[in-house]
Amino acid sequence: MATRLTRRALIASAPGLYLASKGAGRAYAQEKTVKVGVIQPMSGNLSPYSQEGQPALEYIVKKINAEGGIKSMGGAKIQLVIADDASQPARTASEARRLITQDDVSMIVGTLLSAQMLAISPVVDEYKVPTLAMWAGGARASYLYSLGFPYDRGYAKTMADFAGALGNYNRKINTAVIACSNYEAGQQVTKYLQQMLPERGIKVIAEVPLDTQAQDHTASMLRIRSLKPDAVIGLMQPREGILLMQARYGMNYHDSIFIGNSPYSDQVIWRELGPDIGKAVLTRNLFGMASYSEGAKIASMQELASELRSKGNLKSEVGQATIQAAQAARIMQQVLELAGSTEREAINQALKKVNIPYGDPNLYLARAEGLAFGEDRMPKDSTSMMVQWSADRKLEVVWPDLYAQTKPRV
Amino acid sequence: MRSGALKFLSSPVFWLIFAAAVTMPLWLSPYYLGVATIALFYIGLALAWNIVAGIGGQMSLGHSVFVGVGGLLSSALLLKLGINMWLGMVIAAAISAALGAFIAWLDFRFRLSHLSFALITLAFAEMGQLAAVGSEFLGGASGLFLPPDHGSLLNFEFGGQRGNFYLLFTASLVCLIANLVILNTPLGYYLRAMRDNENAAQAIGVALLRNKIIAMMISAALTSIMGTAYARYSGFVDPYQFAAPHVTVEVVLFATIGGLGTVLGPLVGAGFLVVFGEIVRGQLGGVLPGLHFFIDGVLIIVVILLMPRGVVSKIAEWWDRRHAAAPENPKIIAETATRT
Repeated sequence: MATRLTRRALIASAPGLYLASKGAGRAYAQEKTVKVGVIQPMSGNLSPYSQEGQPALEYIVKKINAEGGIKSMGGAKIQLVIADDASQPARTASEARRLITQDDVSMIVGTLLSAQMLAISPVVDEYKVPTLAMWAGGARASYLYSLGFPYDRGYAKTMADFAGALGNYNRKINTAVIACSNYEAGQQVTKYLQQMLPERGIKVIAEVPLDTQAQDHTASMLRIRSLKPDAVIGLMQPREGILLMQARYGMNYHDSIFIGNSPYSDQVIWRELGPDIGKAVLTRNLFGMASYSEGAKIASMQELASELRSKGNLKSEVGQATIQAAQAARIMQQVLELAGSTEREAINQALKKVNIPYGDPNLYLARAEGLAFGEDRMPKDSTSMMVQWSADRKLEVVWPDLYAQTKPRV
Repeated sequence: MRSGALKFLSSPVFWLIFAAAVTMPLWLSPYYLGVATIALFYIGLALAWNIVAGIGGQMSLGHSVFVGVGGLLSSALLLKLGINMWLGMVIAAAISAALGAFIAWLDFRFRLSHLSFALITLAFAEMGQLAAVGSEFLGGASGLFLPPDHGSLLNFEFGGQRGNFYLLFTASLVCLIANLVILNTPLGYYLRAMRDNENAAQAIGVALLRNKIIAMMISAALTSIMGTAYARYSGFVDPYQFAAPHVTVEVVLFATIGGLGTVLGPLVGAGFLVVFGEIVRGQLGGVLPGLHFFIDGVLIIVVILLMPRGVVSKIAEWWDRRHAAAPENPKIIAETATRT
């Protein structure tokens, strides 16, 4: 029997329809989200950071959402709004303005190296938006926090402490040449190394700034070789690290110990140098700072790496940027839980209270004192691991003793 | 074209656009106001560069030096020596003008070909960036961070985004007026004569050195002023942005796409391409990395192939053809006939 929608039937169903719509509205209102702006160098010369880090960030956020979202906000889901700054600081500021004013994000996270951090700082201060930079060596704006290494107690102190500690392994360092990439971070770290190395009994005999536009660093390596330092220490960008090692291979120079930052400890340098050159120079007298190592005695780091490899949809191998991004995601989670609100001021206050203690499964970085921000909005504990390469392209942690798997090969 | 530009600038259409531009802070969102401000910076640069390159025919690839001097030096004078940024802007403009005069003298003294002049100015640009990165006074590679903008006009503070929009609007308006004035004065005639045939110009009595120097000094000073204004707007002066040779390459592109040697060409070219690029990157940057670069590239290729003399020239041609093809008004013909 066919039914017809009569006027009487419609009127009779009205209360039911009304109640159903209220229920649906309530269900819709419960699906809250908290928008987080993500500024990444998706293109340009810094794109390797985002290629390595972005999949890890997205994976952890997806996991957080699947496990119930932000519980203090009634299970609100984190919604990432991605912006590409094309590796240019001016674009970083422009994209930040767009995320804040057009997309109304509650906070910003991003790769944000030091130049990008400086460019975004006036915008962050103007709009008072809490921002977490993954790599900047400083935190200039009062609403900006950085997970990166500070130039002084992060990069310079780690390298200087390690150089000083080599005396415990029968390789006392008496003289050093500071060789840094001639850019913003390199110049800053050079300044601190000049103070810290003499404090550890190491005489700085010269500075060799590495031109970031140079196609070859043979001249720099010739100068280093002529000076015959016990160690060559400095912060550099990946390109300079690769060119310096190529020059070192060309001269077959192994008299000095090379101590540097992540370009010396990332798989990229093996890929660029090739297996023959890599084996010749990277496994001899070379040590780099690392946030991640396959062999590091940090259970949470190894579990994360294993999980990301199997389920993380990674576009490249697990590297420094992968772990840094994953850690940023967990900090974001804790901040939002502490804030309990999408209000920017509440989130900013929560950033001050971040505390992920040593041994916590959500602490992926090697921080013996846990992860918390200091007055300067940089991590209080900014030490790093020092690693060396084995012949089969594996990283071995050699310092500090808490994480070391073997002794430095000197 | 010159009379066409003047005609357009006195038309109701232009004044409507001008009114819309002046009132942008009232109706644009903060993000788009930021985009408009960046566009004004490049419009000013393109117009300043147009004086030597478009009108004078000297393809300078070194204008980033003047941007760097304007941005970095004025900021350094404020931060390191406490010199008011208004005065710093004047000092930077004077130094840029002097440097510009020297470059123009080199061109005259050694009778450089167009290619040689371009290469020498590019060398100046590279040296300028290296000098900026290596100088502690100019902030080195770290750049300079300006104090917050509290709106004190005497201290070259304009009160935030709106005020900085008007700062850059005024500066680029000055560059536009400079172009108009030059084109309608003897200097403009001399520059175009030199552009078209330097030897013939000299033969008829055009003073090559004097006019090259004047054009370059004006262009350099205006570029430096744009650099100072943009430094105030961005709050952070990065030598890799301000003193980088790629800034000049972008300016060359904008002016060429818009129409070299015209008044409106650099304005239209920079205005459209900067806004288009920012919006495309904003919308697509997170979708597929680098897609916005690809779209920018395709657009530039299409424009150059279809409008080799620039967008403004093409629009002017279309406008002239439209008016030349318009049927004569019968009433006017009848009235003319009765008068005769």
